[in-house]
Amino acid sequence: MSLNVVDLRKQFGSRQILDDVDFEVALHDIHAIVGVSGSGKSTILRIIAGLETADGGDVRWNHRSLNKIPAHKRRVTMLSQTALLFPHLTVGENVTLATRKRSRKQAEHWLQVVRLGDRYDAEIHELSGGEQQRVSLARALAAEPELLLLDEPFTNLDPKLKLDLQRFIRDLVKELNLTAVLVTHDREEAMLMADRVTLLEAGKVTRTGTVEELYDSEPGFGDFVMIDGELRPLSEVEISETIGEPVQLMKKIYRFGQCFGEYHFEDGRSIMLPTHEWFQIGMMYRMKRKEEYHA
Amino acid sequence: MLRSSVALTILVSLFPLTALLFLGIEATGTDWGALLTDETWRDSFVTTLYVVSVSTMLSLVFGTWLARTVVKQRWRFTSTILKIPMFVPHIAAAYLFWLLFSGANGFGGIEANERDYVTVILTYIWKEIPFVFLMMLGTYEQLNRGYVETAKTLQLSPYAQFKHAEFPFLIKPLLDSTWILVAFISFAYEVPALLGVTYPKLLGVLAYERLSTGLYLEATAPYAVALIWTCLVGFGVFVSYLMTASLRRRIERGVRR
Amino acid sequence: MIRQGFILCLTLLPFISLFFIAPSMGIENNEAIVHTVGLTIILSGINVWLATTFAWWLLWTESRWKHVLEWLVFLPLFIPMLATLFGLYLILAEVGLIGTYVGVMLALLVVTIPYSIRLAYNGMAVIGRPLLEQARLLPMSRRVVYVLYPLFSRTMRTIALFSTVILLSQFALIQLIGAGLIPTVTTELYQSYAGNNRSLALSNTWMLILFPVVIYFLLSGWNRWMVRMLKGRLQ
Repeated sequence: MSLNVVDLRKQFGSRQILDDVDFEVALHDIHAIVGVSGSGKSTILRIIAGLETADGGDVRWNHRSLNKIPAHKRRVTMLSQTALLFPHLTVGENVTLATRKRSRKQAEHWLQVVRLGDRYDAEIHELSGGEQQRVSLARALAAEPELLLLDEPFTNLDPKLKLDLQRFIRDLVKELNLTAVLVTHDREEAMLMADRVTLLEAGKVTRTGTVEELYDSEPGFGDFVMIDGELRPLSEVEISETIGEPVQLMKKIYRFGQCFGEYHFEDGRSIMLPTHEWFQIGMMYRMKRKEEYHA
Repeated sequence: MLRSSVALTILVSLFPLTALLFLGIEATGTDWGALLTDETWRDSFVTTLYVVSVSTMLSLVFGTWLARTVVKQRWRFTSTILKIPMFVPHIAAAYLFWLLFSGANGFGGIEANERDYVTVILTYIWKEIPFVFLMMLGTYEQLNRGYVETAKTLQLSPYAQFKHAEFPFLIKPLLDSTWILVAFISFAYEVPALLGVTYPKLLGVLAYERLSTGLYLEATAPYAVALIWTCLVGFGVFVSYLMTASLRRRIERGVRR
Repeated sequence: MIRQGFILCLTLLPFISLFFIAPSMGIENNEAIVHTVGLTIILSGINVWLATTFAWWLLWTESRWKHVLEWLVFLPLFIPMLATLFGLYLILAEVGLIGTYVGVMLALLVVTIPYSIRLAYNGMAVIGRPLLEQARLLPMSRRVVYVLYPLFSRTMRTIALFSTVILLSQFALIQLIGAGLIPTVTTELYQSYAGNNRSLALSNTWMLILFPVVIYFLLSGWNRWMVRMLKGRLQ
């Protein structure tokens, strides 16, 4: 079973939004579509969800075309930038509404999964942005989708919360054996969450590959380092004097009143990171995860 | 200058309430028992209820449906045309409908003046649909489409989509429109005076005629009826807003625009 | 397309009545027209002024009376028109304003002002607080002339139009408060209808329908001209 997007075309007025977009999402994969705003990535998601019709091409789930099936019969749920919880319902009622049998028990289960088991009777406005997004996730999962669409769902969250939720959703999708398509402009996010990535530029697919393939060859995907056997974005990393991977300080520069150092790995790759002023050029230091990101 | 015109506006707005006070004082001498048992008033009351509920209901349903459709289908031209009847004075509209259904020119089937008040209802519907349309148009234009789309992807049926992703946001403007229409249609003179019949008259017509005809100059009944009717409408307004208060507040706080 | 056509036909259908018979061309009562025009101009002017200033105040005030006053000005919308009218009749009789121009004017103002405030308030809500907040940073005269007037001109036109239509709809009010001494096109229509003079009634109907149309085009033209002139001054 897989999702196939075949020669998708879409035009708004005279603007070509999507131009023969082609890619395949394997079962149980998280597939990221990465592009700048206006590249047409959200339109792809909306077409997959059935909220927009394509001018040409096809979306196939399990080799069956979805084109003629209305959105509410597709078994595809979507998480968007804002949580969009129905404000006349409580937190729990929002989730219950999405369950197939309108079951409170199931809703409570899904709220527990997103670690909000005790908030069934809470009102929407009592929740923080991150909590609302988690309820939205519970609601999306409660509908028992075959495919989960994530339309930049972390945009409005603060960095720490964002990272937490990214990890949480990734683990959950894997645990539940779901298939997901993530749309983002953030390469870091794609690296963290996805198994495969499609790069989109002005409505055209420029490349599709695994995270590892892109990491090796695509600029912008290199801002990650391997620590403890896992890829980490640079924002999560700091230089220390005692523990971590060995790196050599090659150069110091000052930007925006802050000192940055250029460090070289043993294999010749280099990275830039904020640095203490007293670090000396030519010396060996250690690179480790920042304390605040240790869950 | 701003302060004085605000004060002036408040003063003008106090008039209707003071007017009700005067009505109350004037109505004190009324024989309420006789009023409630008077068959003319009673028949008039029943007919008024019927005309008001049918006209208001149909105006609300069609006006809302049109606003929804116009926004969804992006019918710009239709939207402009639909507003036209609002700018025709009620009395002119009533005369147009009178001509439409009367005598030689008229369409068969319905008389211009008949006991079922069909032409009165039609006139009101024609005049008030654009009003409801305009009230709901703003709501639909500002409605976050994301809610409906979310409802769709959650695999809710079309009815449930409307119930959860549209209707909650319509409650406030629908409530406002309903009571404005009820207050406007229920106790007016012009349209039913032109298109109505001699018996039973609508409450507004009966009260106005009793008040302005020499025969009843001393009667306090019209004032009493006006007061009772205002209290009934006021009670409806109060109860309906009170009953929906917590729901409306919850929606207002939780909505994402 | 078919649906749209059907809706348009139904909306415009009643207007064919205007062409059933020829309206009488002779103007019977000049006084009625003069009164109607006079009342329209004064009523629209006062409505626009009071409604925009009140809505503006309501938008920014931090007074704890805000909600009470908001209710107070919108409450008359929920009071049946004739009930207000009967009460007003009693009040105005008390102060001796029945049968006067001022009395009629005041009664008309009372019934129109809640609608006007509502329109003004909605108009401002559509423009939005952030933009209007920017306008507040400008000095008073420039704020009003260069920013608020162009932004509100459409709303003001709607208020004037609505007041006019409500005024033209009033037969009972003008007859009762004016004690039959202040004839308008509306009272003429009713009387010609009652007197079974169809072509006269029709010519009055034509006037009632054309009146708002003329006002709409006059105000639109005026607004366009003013905005263009103001833009010119900024270049």
